[in-house]
Amino acid sequence: MLFSRRLMLGLAMIGTMAGALAFPALAEGPTEVDLFFPVPVDGKLARDMGTLIKEFNETHADVKATAVYTGSYDDTLIKTRAAIKAGKPPAAVIMSANFLLDMQIENELTNLDSLIAADGTTKEKFLGQFFPALQGNAVINRSVYGVPFHNSTPLLYINADKAKEAGLDPNKPPQTWAELTDWAKKLTKREGDKVTQWGIAIPCAYDYCGWMMETLTMSNGGRYYNEEFGGEVYYDTPSMLGALTWWNDLIHKHKVHAPGATPGPAVSTSFVSGNAAMMMLSTGSLTYVRDNAKFAHKVAFIPRNVRNAVPIGGASLIMPAGLEADRQKAAWTLIKWMTSPEKNAWWSRATGYFAPNMAAYKTPDMVEFLGKNPDAKTAVEQLDVAKPWFATYKTVPVRKNLEDEVMLVLNGKKQPKEALAAAQKAADETLKPYNAETSLKLP
Amino acid sequence: MSLAEPATLSVATPAAPRLHILRHVTKRLKASLPAYLLLLPSLVSLALFTYGAMGRVLIDALYQRATPKAPLRFVGLDNIAAVLADAAFTGAVVNNLIYAVGTAAPSIALALLFALALARTHAVNSALRAALFLPVLIPMVAASALFLFIFLPNVGLLDYYIGRLLPVLPNWLGDPDIALYAIMIITIWKNAGYYMLFFLAGLQAVPEDVMEAAHLDGAGPYQRLRHIILPELKPTFLFVTVIAILNAVTQVDHVFVMTQGGPSNSTNLVLFYIYQQAVEHYDIGKASAATLLTLAALMGLTALSFRTMANREGGP
Repeated sequence: MLFSRRLMLGLAMIGTMAGALAFPALAEGPTEVDLFFPVPVDGKLARDMGTLIKEFNETHADVKATAVYTGSYDDTLIKTRAAIKAGKPPAAVIMSANFLLDMQIENELTNLDSLIAADGTTKEKFLGQFFPALQGNAVINRSVYGVPFHNSTPLLYINADKAKEAGLDPNKPPQTWAELTDWAKKLTKREGDKVTQWGIAIPCAYDYCGWMMETLTMSNGGRYYNEEFGGEVYYDTPSMLGALTWWNDLIHKHKVHAPGATPGPAVSTSFVSGNAAMMMLSTGSLTYVRDNAKFAHKVAFIPRNVRNAVPIGGASLIMPAGLEADRQKAAWTLIKWMTSPEKNAWWSRATGYFAPNMAAYKTPDMVEFLGKNPDAKTAVEQLDVAKPWFATYKTVPVRKNLEDEVMLVLNGKKQPKEALAAAQKAADETLKPYNAETSLKLP
Repeated sequence: MSLAEPATLSVATPAAPRLHILRHVTKRLKASLPAYLLLLPSLVSLALFTYGAMGRVLIDALYQRATPKAPLRFVGLDNIAAVLADAAFTGAVVNNLIYAVGTAAPSIALALLFALALARTHAVNSALRAALFLPVLIPMVAASALFLFIFLPNVGLLDYYIGRLLPVLPNWLGDPDIALYAIMIITIWKNAGYYMLFFLAGLQAVPEDVMEAAHLDGAGPYQRLRHIILPELKPTFLFVTVIAILNAVTQVDHVFVMTQGGPSNSTNLVLFYIYQQAVEHYDIGKASAATLLTLAALMGLTALSFRTMANREGGP
């Protein structure tokens, strides 16, 4: 009896809550859409997002958008998945570009093809607005699942003052691994056994480490993963072995790179404080370096061993599966507005990411901005050789399978060859269930 | 209740014993109704947010998908077996044991030392107590963000000072041999001041007359500590130890902020492993199974410590 009373009370409470939640949706007025957004780089981004959404609401009477801050990229994925599970998915999400495939495999994304067709345009035309390098992470099985919003590539940052001191010309940055190794040697300062200035710093923490391994592997002619199929990675290959061996050599043979795994913030602080003369880091850190470095800095393409190639990073706008038709329509309006040339250009200048919409670079404000900040141009130019970011079934664990082994190598606890063999074995194991129902499911 | 019983008995007829029991139960319920009503708000929220969630974990732990698109199916204890067979889980358990012992022992020792040094209340000691308590007030996430920069190789505060003394600078958070100990330093720094409070309270309870008698009998400071203070503080020790071990399992904010379990899983603790299974692997079955195992271990520990405490109080 007591139990039933408790149950009844609970039900009554839930009923009231549900009623309160359902009421605004029933009321007349603009369609309400919520946008989940992460802040992956610095705190200012949240304020910029507020400005952007306010402008959207002022210009669109029929839609009322609310921006909901959801933490890091990883947190945003968790919260989106939790909301989908609870049956209340957000109308739109700014999602890390390499999570899309995994979400699509789990049936968590809205296919955008019909919305594009309803606008009277074609997929090719719609995607044609964006840099070709970004399309790989937005299109799955020839259907569009995401719209690129802000993106990045890795860059080589050079302390120009230190380069001049060492007799190097910062206007002719190193273009090959051989030249970079040479620069790093000349830029390393020692007092006896102790290093007081490192030649180069490359970040390695979960997430960044995998991205840098993809960068080095691509520059060495490799691929990291199968761009067409989410069940394969190429860890135990000559191109990745060369990449990891070179990184290992910078640390243990040439002694121009600090030993161990160094996270991104430590690398940028080290560079800005003059402790490392060069670093490889995302274009997303450009604003930070510009604002904080007390010396002249230069940015350059990531040097090549076999070819110039880098992966993209950043995020796309997505719509979770299971949205009502009116919210879907309103969210689509919001997404198209946010990725239009003017808004995309504004967001790029505010955050330091580059704008995926090519027309953004033809807007007058952007032309003026690039004139003042030529370093922002390098990132855009490098896009010509950029390729998609690794995305597989269970992207994060598969990436971690590699990163754990790379960290052991950087700490001198394993040799590159055996580390990559172990990483390959672990990743194959993680990918097994997906292969079981795709590539290995035979008639 | 005992007063009411004979009265009910005399009224009851042998023909309707079941009715009698029913009436008895109703009566008992009526008597305790106010108590239940008072408990209702907390019972409801406990049911909704604690036991409801635990029940859900229990159910989730029994289901698994064979392949990504396959439907969930009942697998019994397979998830638990998979967790126990996972090297990452056993690694996390070992890390957590090292972490628990390595943070509980030093922070309790420091807390006792602080409490003994600052037992007498006067202005200077109050200020020092406040200073030692300060780390407790800083949220773990904020503290971790601070320490991230203190631990920066070469340029961080720690290396800036220690760097002059050491030939090779350690990469505090980037070396798998050192990272767990770096994380432990933060926990000790943060918790010692908190545990000090319990010991200060415990010291107030040491009987003044016994201390005086010992003093008159010529017992030195060490003898007083060894034979009076420490035995008197035994319940405090027990309590603080339980709290410290619970903290070692449940407070992993700094792992999230500073290392994410890395490098190479060297700072992976059990709670972070559960997070990884649920979020990165998106494997709710395994995450729930690991949660159940952790809950069982914690409940066992708590039950054991409560029994020990009860024994002490009931014993001679």
